[in-house]
Amino acid sequence: MNTQREVLALLDEILSLKGRSVAMTRDTPLLGALPELDSMAVVAVITALEERFGFSVEDDEIDGSAFVTVGALVDFVEAKLAG
Amino acid sequence: MARMAAEAFFLPADPGQRFCLYHPPRGAARGAFLYLHPFAEEMNKSRRMAASMARRLAENGYAVLQIDLAGCGDSSGDFGDATWQGWLDDVRRACDWLSARHARVPLWLWGLRCGALLAVAAAQQHRIAANFLFWQPVMAGRHHLQQFLRLKVAGEMIGGAAKGVMEDLKRRLAAGETVEIAGYALNPALAQALESAALVPPPTPGRLLWYEVSARAEATLSPAAQNCLEQWRAAGFTIHSAVTPAPSFWQTSEIEDAPTLLEATLMALS
Repeated sequence: MNTQREVLALLDEILSLKGRSVAMTRDTPLLGALPELDSMAVVAVITALEERFGFSVEDDEIDGSAFVTVGALVDFVEAKLAG
Repeated sequence: MARMAAEAFFLPADPGQRFCLYHPPRGAARGAFLYLHPFAEEMNKSRRMAASMARRLAENGYAVLQIDLAGCGDSSGDFGDATWQGWLDDVRRACDWLSARHARVPLWLWGLRCGALLAVAAAQQHRIAANFLFWQPVMAGRHHLQQFLRLKVAGEMIGGAAKGVMEDLKRRLAAGETVEIAGYALNPALAQALESAALVPPPTPGRLLWYEVSARAEATLSPAAQNCLEQWRAAGFTIHSAVTPAPSFWQTSEIEDAPTLLEATLMALS
């Protein structure tokens, strides 16, 4: 499984990026850079990650650092998968 | 084909009145649908899909009533004063209205997300015999409440500090306070009722159509959904379930269409 590809596909759907996610790299900034990423979108992304990858995110894990860049979000998911 | 006009009206309730949109069926009615919308902002995001499905159903010979629950949409009352019981009573009023016009055809409760939870709770409490059409149903109110409260956590996170926000919300609700989440005033009684709601089969079995959407083409129903469907099957319901490739339109940033969901629903009914 390619985590980054899965994460980008999910961002593309929820943020209605219409394929713009293909140009994103690990360094692409998210929070503060993507106007689509409002609180509803953040919650939708977290919920979709939980459903897609089968882990559960604790409330105190919801932290801005996981949403700084694409790479940070991918690392967050991989850390959750590693348990 | 000429589009049939929907009729907007206010259904008297107690207290206040509920905004309704009625889509008369083309020709003799084959069934009557009551649409129950999702919770809070998800309702607004899904307006267009609900309207599209309602029109398509009407064109295919089904009467459709869309109701804005108390404190939602264009109905009277504030969201902050809404109660679960009040919503259950709204469902019964709307069913009565539909049944008075279409007594001899099957009644369907069509619930999207939290609307599915409300549909089964109303059927249970008011002994409504109906078929059910669920779109991406919420199976546990507890999870849905958690997800809703997270909007506040996410909002604070964007602002820089999310630590302790959830604990604070839960403490205030437990203390009987109304909390403000993403522009919605959530009262403690509604939070509590939502938390204990579950998608359990109502006493009178009928048909159940269950649709989930997924961005992935090869997706299957989640284990949680499969377990839930097993309960409904054991309760005597005739079930059709599917996952259709479409965006999660009730939560996407822009208003999205899910034409595959419309087609799949119509196909299952025919």
